[in-house]
Amino acid sequence: MATNTPEAIAIEQKLAVQSIRKFLESKTSYDVLPVSYRLIVMDTSLLVKKSLNILLQNNIVSAPLWDSRTSRFAGLLTSSDFINVIQYYFSNPDKFELVDKLQLDGLRDVERAIGVRPLDTGSIHPFKPLYDACCKMLESRSRRIPLIDQDEETRREIVVSVLTQYRILKFVALNCRETRYLKRPIGELGIITEGDLLRCDMHTPVIDVIQLLTQGGVSSIPIVDEHGKLVNVYEAVDVLGLIKGGIYNDLSLSVGEALMRRSDDFEGVYTCTQNDKLVTIMDTIRKSRVHRFFVVNEEGYLTGVLTLSDILKYILFEEK
Amino acid sequence: MANDMSENIKDVSMLDVANANENGKKRSQNTIVQSFSKLDIGDHRSTPPLMRRRSTLIFDDDDDPPKHEENVGSEVDLSDDRVQHSAGVADPSLDPDVSADPESSASSLGSITGQPQQQGSAEIGTSRSNASTPQTAAQNVIPVDITWQQGGNKVYVTGSFTGWRKMIGLVPDTTQHGVFHIKLQLPPGTHRFRFIVDNELRFSDFLPTATDQMGNFVNYLEIVSPEVTPKQEVTSQEPAPHQHKRASKAEEPLSARSKLALQIGEDPDDMGDGYSRFHGAVEHQAAYSYTRDIPAVFTDPSVMEQYYLTLDQQQNNQQNMAWLTPPQLPPQLENVILNNYSAAAQAGETGSENNSGALPIPNHVVLNHLATSSIKHNTLCVASIVRYKRKYATQMLYAPLQ
Repeated sequence: MATNTPEAIAIEQKLAVQSIRKFLESKTSYDVLPVSYRLIVMDTSLLVKKSLNILLQNNIVSAPLWDSRTSRFAGLLTSSDFINVIQYYFSNPDKFELVDKLQLDGLRDVERAIGVRPLDTGSIHPFKPLYDACCKMLESRSRRIPLIDQDEETRREIVVSVLTQYRILKFVALNCRETRYLKRPIGELGIITEGDLLRCDMHTPVIDVIQLLTQGGVSSIPIVDEHGKLVNVYEAVDVLGLIKGGIYNDLSLSVGEALMRRSDDFEGVYTCTQNDKLVTIMDTIRKSRVHRFFVVNEEGYLTGVLTLSDILKYILFEEK
Repeated sequence: MANDMSENIKDVSMLDVANANENGKKRSQNTIVQSFSKLDIGDHRSTPPLMRRRSTLIFDDDDDPPKHEENVGSEVDLSDDRVQHSAGVADPSLDPDVSADPESSASSLGSITGQPQQQGSAEIGTSRSNASTPQTAAQNVIPVDITWQQGGNKVYVTGSFTGWRKMIGLVPDTTQHGVFHIKLQLPPGTHRFRFIVDNELRFSDFLPTATDQMGNFVNYLEIVSPEVTPKQEVTSQEPAPHQHKRASKAEEPLSARSKLALQIGEDPDDMGDGYSRFHGAVEHQAAYSYTRDIPAVFTDPSVMEQYYLTLDQQQNNQQNMAWLTPPQLPPQLENVILNNYSAAAQAGETGSENNSGALPIPNHVVLNHLATSSIKHNTLCVASIVRYKRKYATQMLYAPLQ
C-alpha cells in the first residue's frame, strides 16, 4: 500500500474535491434548510440604531430587509452598512441628528455620500444547485446570499432564507465524508493569501482599523505586536458592539480598548500553519464558528490568511 | 350558567382569523371522516365499535402520539372543546413532530381539562368517554416503505421514530443489487432519519433532505393520514343557504349566542355557531366554498356594535358585558416554537451552535397565525409560521410603529 506517498495523497485529494463538488451540484439551497427554521426580517423604515439592537438581541450579524411599500426584498443589512455609517459620521460629526434618525432605507444615501460602491448582493432561487449559489456568492464578493422565491399566487417576492459561506462549508464538513481525504498541506495548494496583509497594532485607533476594513474589502484586520506576532483580530462584526445603543463617541478609542466591548462568547482567533491540512481546517469549521484562519509560522508570526472564500474557491474551481 | 359563560369566552377566541376559515372546513370534513371511519372498521377488526363512536373526532387522535395514554384520556374531557377540535381538524395533512414535544401537547391539553366542559359535551351527545382508548390511538399508524438504493452490504435505518437509538435492519431486494427495503408502521407526522450503511451514517439522495439543529443532513418524511385526500372533493355551494339549512336541521337547542350568530352573520365562518358544529352537518354530504370575505361583524363597526348589544341583552344580568373579557388564547397557540429557540441552541451537544436558525417542527395548527411581541421602543415584532414547499419558515418581521 503506497497510500502515503505525496502522489497518492494528491490523487485522493483530487478525487475527494471532485466528489464534494458533485455533492454541491446535486444539492439545492433548499436542501440545506432545516425542516423548520426562523428568519429575521427588518422593515426598511426601521431606524438604523434600532436595527442594530435587534441584531445584537437576536445574536445575528445580518438580516434581509423588506420594503413594505413595494412589498419587495430590499437587500441585506450587514456589518458593512454600520461601518459606512460610522465613516460617514466620522467625516461629518455635525450630522449626528441625521445619523440618529437614519432609517434603513437611508443607508444607500450614506453609501453615496462616502463614495462606497454598494455591495452587490445577488440573490438566488432556493431550488438552484448549491454550487450555483456558491459561485454567485463568490462573484459578488459577498459572504452571504439571500434565497428569494416568488409567491405562486401573488407573484410577490418571498425571502426564504439567507445562506452564508460558513453555513455551506459547515454543511460540507458535516456531511461529506470525502473531507477526510483532504490531506495535502494547505501551503501546497496556493489558496492562502500571503504577503503584505493589512494589519494593525493594539494602539491603532479603532476608526483607522475600520477604515482598513473598507479599504481592503476584508472582514477582519489582524492585530500584531511590534514584532509581527499575531495577538488578536478586529472583525467587521465587532463594530456592532462598538456603536451599540447608537452611541458614536467611542470612535477615538484604540482598537485594544474597543476589543474590551467584545462579548464573552467570542470564539477566539483561529490560526493554522502552512503544513496543516484541509481536513483539519474543515474539522474546525464543523466544530466552531470560524470565519478565517490566520496562517502563522512556528514562532507565531503572521504570514498569511486563509478565508472561507479561499476554501470555497478551491473546492469549486480547483482540482479539475 | 357559569358553564355557559365559559363556553362563550371560548367562542370569542374563535375570532382568530385562521380559525374562522377552519370552521367551515371542519364541518365539511366531519362527514367525510365519518364515511371513512366506516370503511376503516374492516381493517381494524379489534375495535370496530370504537371507531364508529369516534367518527367525528377521528383526526384528533391522529395528532396524538400513540404512546401517551394520559393524553388520550384527557382528551375525553375535551370532546366539547371546539377550539381544540376545530384547530386539530383544520388541516390534517400535517402533523406535529410527534416525538418532539409530547410534553407540551399533553400539558396544553391538560390545562383545559380543568374547565367545566363536561356538561356541554353530554348535552350534545358526542361524549366518548369510553370511546377512545389507547389501543385505538395505537392503531393509527401508516405503513411506510423505506428504500435504500445506494449499495452497501448491511443497511439499517435509525431516526426520530426510534428516538435515534434503535437501528432497524433493511432487507436486501432479491431482484436488484444494492437495494434494500423495510416497511415501517409509523404514526402520521414528520419523521427524520438516516441510514447506517456498513457502519457509516448516510442519507439517501432519493428522499427529501433537510438539516437538523446541528447542521447534520437528514432524510425526512412527512406522513399524512390517508383521511386527508377527500378534502379536495369538497364541492362548492353558496355558504349562506347552507348555513340556514344546517341551522334548521340542528335538533339540539342552540345557545343564545349561536342563534345570534346565525342571525347576524350571513357567513358560515362566524364564530358564534359553536354548539352545533359537531353534529349539524353529519348526515348529509356537506358542501362549502371557501371565502376570502371577512364577515361584516369584523369589518363594520356598526354591525359589531349591534352584535355585542344584542349579545348583552340576551345574556343574563350577571353575565352582562361578558364579551368585554379578552378572548382566551386557544391552547395550541400557547406553545410558541420561537420561544424554544435559545433552548434549542443550547441543546447542541457537540458545542456547535444552532446557526441555521433551526426550530422545532411546528404543530400545523399554529401555521399562518400572527404572533406579536410586546411593543418595545416603538418597534413591533410580528412572527408567522408559513409553509415553504415542504418546510416551515418562521418569519419574524421587525417594523416601527408609524
